[in-house]
Amino acid sequence: MNLRSIWILYVRELRSALRERTIVVNSILMPIFLYPVMLWVLFSGFNLVQGLSEGVTSRVIFTTPAPAGHGELLDSIRAREGMSIVGWENLANAREVSESGALEGVPLFGEGEALARLREGNADVVVTFFEPPPEGQALPGNFRVRLRYDRAEGRSVQARDRVEAVVEVYRNLWMVRQAGTLGIDPEARFQFALSSENVSSSQDLGAMVLAQLISFFLVIMVALGCFVPAVDTTAGERERSTWETLMTVAASRASMVTAKYLYVATLGIAAGALNVVALFISIGAVIRPLLEDAGESITFSIPLKAIPIMMAGAASLAFFFAAAMMILASFARSFKDGQAMVQPVYWLIFLPFILGGQTDRNLTPAIASIPVANVSMMIRDAVTGVFIWPLIAQTLIVTLATVLLCLVAARYVLRFEDFLLGSFDGSFWRFVRDRMSAGKNGTAY
Amino acid sequence: MMTTETTPTVQVEGLRKTFYDESRGEVHAVDGIDFDCRPGEVFGLLGANGAGKTTTLRMLSTVLRPTGGRARVMGHDVVTEPEAVRESLGFYSASTALYPRLTARETLEFFARINRYPPDRVPERVEELVDRFGIREYERGRVEKLSSGMKQKVSIARTVAHDPPVLIFDEPTVGLDVLNALEMVKVIRELRDEGKTILFSSHIMSEVEKLCDRIGVIHRGRMLAMGTLEELRELTGEHYLEDIFVHYVTRTEGVEGVELGAMGELEPAAPGDGEGAEESIPQGADAGGEEA
Repeated sequence: MNLRSIWILYVRELRSALRERTIVVNSILMPIFLYPVMLWVLFSGFNLVQGLSEGVTSRVIFTTPAPAGHGELLDSIRAREGMSIVGWENLANAREVSESGALEGVPLFGEGEALARLREGNADVVVTFFEPPPEGQALPGNFRVRLRYDRAEGRSVQARDRVEAVVEVYRNLWMVRQAGTLGIDPEARFQFALSSENVSSSQDLGAMVLAQLISFFLVIMVALGCFVPAVDTTAGERERSTWETLMTVAASRASMVTAKYLYVATLGIAAGALNVVALFISIGAVIRPLLEDAGESITFSIPLKAIPIMMAGAASLAFFFAAAMMILASFARSFKDGQAMVQPVYWLIFLPFILGGQTDRNLTPAIASIPVANVSMMIRDAVTGVFIWPLIAQTLIVTLATVLLCLVAARYVLRFEDFLLGSFDGSFWRFVRDRMSAGKNGTAY
Repeated sequence: MMTTETTPTVQVEGLRKTFYDESRGEVHAVDGIDFDCRPGEVFGLLGANGAGKTTTLRMLSTVLRPTGGRARVMGHDVVTEPEAVRESLGFYSASTALYPRLTARETLEFFARINRYPPDRVPERVEELVDRFGIREYERGRVEKLSSGMKQKVSIARTVAHDPPVLIFDEPTVGLDVLNALEMVKVIRELRDEGKTILFSSHIMSEVEKLCDRIGVIHRGRMLAMGTLEELRELTGEHYLEDIFVHYVTRTEGVEGVELGAMGELEPAAPGDGEGAEESIPQGADAGGEEA
């Protein structure tokens, strides 16, 4: 291998790559703009959905009159923004609900018709008042309410929530009044009170959010950063017929492969690094103001020690993804085929989600032995200030061993000139199967 | 290595290439061919599609590894010193495209540097090539945006960017229009006149006739005949190269036992091997810089 040749080839690869739109978008722009765009889309979407759902009117049907003395409850329901009582608007002699008779002027529906309307989507919630059971009748004016709704319909669920909220508020007020009537101090009516307190600091909360985001998106971004360059520099070269041109230059095969490998890994590392930087900028500019508006106190910072761990993690992931993707893509004759062949490696990015993302556990020896998932978990721990050094070492050793395995496989594959020249018609798996079987050893270079 | 005009710059002895094909089993793409070339000479490999021309040239350029025999370029063995061989030659073929996202100038710089042209002289060399091949007007344009004629010029310029003593042109006019094909032939002549050794393969008889100082007729991986056009005419009694080619091919296909001498001349077959060819083509003497 010749370092000068590697450098010349590497610069050539990088220069070409930075002029290719797909590579620039996937390896540079996407990592930079992922968070701002994602957050903007999330919050815009959330606001839009919230706005739309706020604007929906809930149609309420009554099947029984309100209990005596509870006309105020009906007033509250009627007065609540976004609620309408079915039939009320058509009632020529609609009157305010009287204190005594309640439901004066409020149309009542039979059980059957009310439920039919609910099922047909012509009503959102059916309200029925009951007498309380005997043990509840000691309290004058006590009653029960049943709300029937269609769980399969979003607006019906929303209508139930709205009515429930109104009833809840009304009940509390009524209870306070009743307590007063019975000479009980309103505060004294509570036998015991439940309260909860968050002991985590604003830094802890920030670290938790960062750990979740970084450990998952760093893996995705490094993989995405390697994906197009790996396919472009192998299958893409074949498709453009520049592969053979390269084979005739005065550099060793090892120099050529090394330059390509370093180039793909560089873009993977760059994508990961840009992503982390973009995350911090986005958090400062977008997330923090939003959380502060929502009354949350949160501080985003990570331990200094976590930075080298993140860098080592991103680099080892990049070298792994670069090697694995390049090997598989080398079997393709066109860019499109290459993309398809690389997909299995790309799906590895979900390993962290499956193995570590759903638990609150720290890195364990078992997870530290699983490529990709181990790096993700290692980064998550580091960001939250957990440094289990033996497991960090195990993670890096496992990842480097995987990289080495990929390179050995690449070296083996590159010995065969039918592969080298693109005349081998098949995937990596077929290649392994064919070459492992006796008598089909091809021509080794 | 010092090379004089009488020393072959390319030496091929018993070169062989056998492929394994799933449906056909072992395929002898090149079956023990011999030839050599000297500076200032255009040596043409003439053969039909699939005759073994490209495989031979790919072995010489170290893209493929020979199964047997030997080949040396500027004294460097293609198996043991592949990088030195590649440094000594420029390879041009329809399957060696340019990097589309580099500019013409960057392309020339890249190929000069990677092929180990003295780094301090690269800028000067690029200027020289830009002027010589008329690339100046579009030197800053990306290759992907150039017309096929422009690309052809850049492609030839990149082949000679490191000023190699040996140049291989594998069917260089395939896919070119008449004017560009003529331009290609003109450039090859100029390079020959500068003292370069040129290996040229084609199945287009007129090109070979016009360009080559010596011709090797290759068929089914074997060298059927080799000599100057005049020599081949004399030996076959045919005037046109096409007829000469057909003469050898039909003879080989129809007569069993035709064998080739160590340097490619037709030899009588061994007794009992069937009819043999009586004629013998003397090995091409030094062609020097003479035109065919």
